[in-house]
Amino acid sequence: MKISLKINGQDLTAEVAPTTLLVDFLRSDQGLTGTHLGCDTSQCGACMVLVNGDAVKSCTLLAVQLDGAEVTTIEGLSDGETLSPVQEAFREAHGLQCGFCTPGMVVSVTDLLAKNPNPSESEIRHWLEGNICRCTGYQNIVKAAQMAAEKQQAA
Amino acid sequence: MYEFDYVRPTTLQEAQDLVGEDKKLLAGGQTYMPTLRQRLAMPELLIDLNAIPVLHGICEADDRISIGAMTRHAEVASDGLVRSKIPGLASMAGGIGDPAVRHRGTLGGSLANNDPSACYPAAVLALNAVVHTSKRSIEAKDFFQGLFTTALDEDEIISHVTFPSVPCAYLKFKQPASGFALAGVFACKLDDGFRLAVTGAGQEGVFRWQQAEAALNNDASFGDFKSLALEPDMIEDVHADADYRSNLVRVAAGRVVAQLREQLA
Amino acid sequence: MNQISKPEIANPLGRALEHDSAGQHVTGQALYCDDIREPAGCLHAAMGLGPAFPARIVAMDLDAVRQAPGVVAVFTAADIPGENNAGSVVHDEPLLASDQTSYAQQPLFVVAAETRDQARRAARLAKFEAEERPAAVTYDQIVERDEHVMPTLEVVTGDAEAALAKAQHKLEGRIEIGGQEHMYLEGQIALALPSPDGLRVVSSTQHPTEVQEMLGHLLELSSAEITVEVRRMGGAFGGKESQAAHTAMMATLAAYHTGRPVKLRLDRDDDMVTTGKRHDFRVDYRLGYDDSGRVYAGTFDLAARCGHSADLSAAVCDRAVFHSDNAYFIPEHRITSHRYRSNTVSNTAYRGFGGPQGMVAIERAMDQIAARLGKDPLDVRLENLYGRHGDIAPYGMQVKERVLEPLIRQLEVSADYRQRRAEIEAANQSAGRYRRGIALTPVKFGISFTISFLNQAGALLNIYKDGSILINHGGTEMGQGLYLKVAQVVAHQFGVPLDMVKISATRTDKVPNTSPTAASSGTDLNGAAALAACKTLKQRLTRFLQQKFETDALPLFKDGRVLIGFHHMSYAEMARAAWFARIPLSATGHFATPGIGWDAKTGKGRPFFYFAHGAAVSEVEIDTLTGANRVVRADLLHDVGQSINPAIDLGQIEGAYIQGMGWLTMEQLVFNDKGQLLTHAPSTYKIPTATDRPDVLNITLYDNKNPEATVHRSKAVGEPPFMLAISVHSALAHAISGLGGPGYWPDLDAPATAEEVLRCLDAANAAAV
Repeated sequence: MKISLKINGQDLTAEVAPTTLLVDFLRSDQGLTGTHLGCDTSQCGACMVLVNGDAVKSCTLLAVQLDGAEVTTIEGLSDGETLSPVQEAFREAHGLQCGFCTPGMVVSVTDLLAKNPNPSESEIRHWLEGNICRCTGYQNIVKAAQMAAEKQQAA
Repeated sequence: MYEFDYVRPTTLQEAQDLVGEDKKLLAGGQTYMPTLRQRLAMPELLIDLNAIPVLHGICEADDRISIGAMTRHAEVASDGLVRSKIPGLASMAGGIGDPAVRHRGTLGGSLANNDPSACYPAAVLALNAVVHTSKRSIEAKDFFQGLFTTALDEDEIISHVTFPSVPCAYLKFKQPASGFALAGVFACKLDDGFRLAVTGAGQEGVFRWQQAEAALNNDASFGDFKSLALEPDMIEDVHADADYRSNLVRVAAGRVVAQLREQLA
Repeated sequence: MNQISKPEIANPLGRALEHDSAGQHVTGQALYCDDIREPAGCLHAAMGLGPAFPARIVAMDLDAVRQAPGVVAVFTAADIPGENNAGSVVHDEPLLASDQTSYAQQPLFVVAAETRDQARRAARLAKFEAEERPAAVTYDQIVERDEHVMPTLEVVTGDAEAALAKAQHKLEGRIEIGGQEHMYLEGQIALALPSPDGLRVVSSTQHPTEVQEMLGHLLELSSAEITVEVRRMGGAFGGKESQAAHTAMMATLAAYHTGRPVKLRLDRDDDMVTTGKRHDFRVDYRLGYDDSGRVYAGTFDLAARCGHSADLSAAVCDRAVFHSDNAYFIPEHRITSHRYRSNTVSNTAYRGFGGPQGMVAIERAMDQIAARLGKDPLDVRLENLYGRHGDIAPYGMQVKERVLEPLIRQLEVSADYRQRRAEIEAANQSAGRYRRGIALTPVKFGISFTISFLNQAGALLNIYKDGSILINHGGTEMGQGLYLKVAQVVAHQFGVPLDMVKISATRTDKVPNTSPTAASSGTDLNGAAALAACKTLKQRLTRFLQQKFETDALPLFKDGRVLIGFHHMSYAEMARAAWFARIPLSATGHFATPGIGWDAKTGKGRPFFYFAHGAAVSEVEIDTLTGANRVVRADLLHDVGQSINPAIDLGQIEGAYIQGMGWLTMEQLVFNDKGQLLTHAPSTYKIPTATDRPDVLNITLYDNKNPEATVHRSKAVGEPPFMLAISVHSALAHAISGLGGPGYWPDLDAPATAEEVLRCLDAANAAAV
């Protein structure tokens, strides 16, 4: 089936099978491998992307459903070499270890701060319920979210 | 996934004309997509309801709140009308899954699936909401018919659900890994008295805890849920045994009724 | 996209620098195995699993699998040209079972197809005629059957029975400690790339050399014909030490026969069902002690459920023995470790490697002694610390370093332990629905592989003409910051900024014969090997500089410059000049940990180079109506020696503690009576999420230097802080204990799920009546 959509600001038309998951379309067809596959059961959040501004699990959507949509992946959050405030914060706050969950975390926090620019620590933690990290204790991930909120407010 | 065709109609009529045996509806997909991925379903055709505008949205009509079948959990949770008029429903929707699930998952999808651990059935049953479909209107008491079973015909599509505006509260103990209810209790007070619906715990799916309702109707300050009979057999699985589940139901009922009392006061 | 480079940082050693891949991770540029662009013609493999019970396979019909769309080939045990073995220590585990399976859903065949979806679909089409074999799953079943994957180990010091008979007080107990799924976010995966020049395999493995060897045996190839490579893993935690080889072998078997590249990425369910987990243990213990709480004698019987094959169980259980004393001197002691075979997936390495299971039992016993004597458990712990009344461990090693007592004293004050305990006990007297508990528990963890020959490492160091440095070593990166730490060490040696040093992917053709990146030893071993290579090159450069400037002075490498006598030049100029002078600018380094060794026959020796220490205070709250529990506050004080990178070390401590908390409180593996895993996905197996983090989490590095000559006098950090979480388990028991009356201590098993806590609350209430 033919779909037209916008990925990371670029218009695109593509032919996809009805059974193709968005995550496979992004990774295999578009080469956007920053979106990771962690669990196959819609739990881990490593595959999160923004669809029309909302964080969603790209393993739980069909690519054909995205006709007419705007998709932003982790690769689309930075502007060339300039990192987004959330990306910067995850770096500076040591909000990562193996890095596998990081793109999903960054996407998730980006969405949170767009909707709630000044979240409490508890709001951050609850928001991240759908993002599993096995390396850290979420300490610096939550700190990164707080730091990013400060950076965005200062900007 | 097994092979299937896909279509995305823009009117309810188009969807209605397509739906049938092996021609399945796709709502938010938060349960159905994993089901497809595990090859537990084998539809010929997938009819995506996401682009039918009439199925989305929340409005007030005749003292009732109408919520479109494709309204996302996140919208219900944050909607001002729902928050002020049916507070328990808003807080319930805000506790389903995680933000990504709430961005996609829908009221209609949840009801049509009638997962015994889902939250929405408890709210709809307790509030005696009315499920409006492409064919008819079904009262909640007639809608839920056991595990993953509803009154819906194979070719019937939920369009919207209307709820009464009443004080209400919901509380669930989560199955920690999935966030589904191990035991969830939705409580409200309608004209005919208190109503408590329980999800996650009963072997037959969502049910009303009639002993608790009767006790409350008899004495609005009743609080000793531990002593009450709990009728249907409780689910036993890897997450909790039946005794533990029934204990959770009792504890949840106590807390949720206390919340309801605060609203009523 | 633009590559974000490491910051230009001078004097990087000991500084809290960001992970070397941080810039790549936040932009999605970091490549994991699955992100490598697939070469043309790449096939995808899937495992074909056996029946949902241990079975005798009477007949297996794979016709439908072969005929499924997209399938190129199907391979069974009969297609293995070499040895059908996936057992790393003992050759007791077939890669593909044939006439019988030993556990539910054991792999029987491999499908290779054009797409991953096709391979996975086809794998489900096999038909079996199978007879069910009896399954030994529970402790009672495995003890009764009494089959062992490895011989029993007994470590004895003194005459424990005689001493127990004489003891003023005796304590007996039993604790069951559940296993743990690794739940690395990146599942098992390998990409096999055959070519006439040899086989190259990209594997998400902690042990590339072992994968290389196993592939050699599988295909009857020499090691020189096989290159195994890993740039990074998306988490491992021990789960990719021995068991990554299985995935690599299956992918490579298909590549070998088809001549095409083959990728195998396990589905999460298949991964959880077919790869091993932390060993679950049942520990029976007896201790003899006096009125002061001092322990004189003990016996510990450790029963481990090892699964259907040996895998690494011997070493895991050895380490459990070595840590069943934790930090406490027990003069007359017998520790017995049984390694039971069960009809379940073969348990394997997991962070702590048996150590945590050993420690949990002795910490429970310390709490029980204190409860019976009406003392603060901390006083009983202090009374028994190594150094108070003796310092020889049951296995004969002297515990020399006296870190724990001052460390505990510091934490006791900084966490305000005594005051808070008093307040909690008082509040619990009149508590309603919520009760609190608090505990301070120490950790003493031995550092070194207990298999002595593994304590070696190699490195390759190249200086290029422009002065840039490439360091390669045998250690693998799984997020723990090993690459960064070694780069910091090398940059410091040459006095150059960090961005002059590049670390390349771990490959068996660069550094051969490596040990797994495990046992927390990555930096100790590979950092030391890198240092050895630095030393060799610096010696050559010193001779060159001395000749060039006709001086006996020693050069100083600092701030990107080289100073020798009254001369100086930039470091990069020096590199070019050395090349012109035909100085070889490439060197290897090797390190072997000195002075260690242990004899399993006598049960004596020095298994460890040194010990890492820590202590934690955890405060918990339980809901007495539901058993639901959470950690309210945790204070961790941990000894990493002199830190190479405090940011990395703090991250390891935090992550280890939370992972340990998950293990002891919420992570529950459930098998049915056929040994089939029922919690085989993250939707049924709960690990900590952001809301499970303690409200307050204070982590401090203890000011110390390793007395042994490790790299920068640092200490290993990967595993030791995992066991700080035992304080959570202990605090939960404390919260329950008051309900049972004086002297009562609950038999809280692990994991202390809400249901388990509620069971203990009921038992405590019953005991009080």
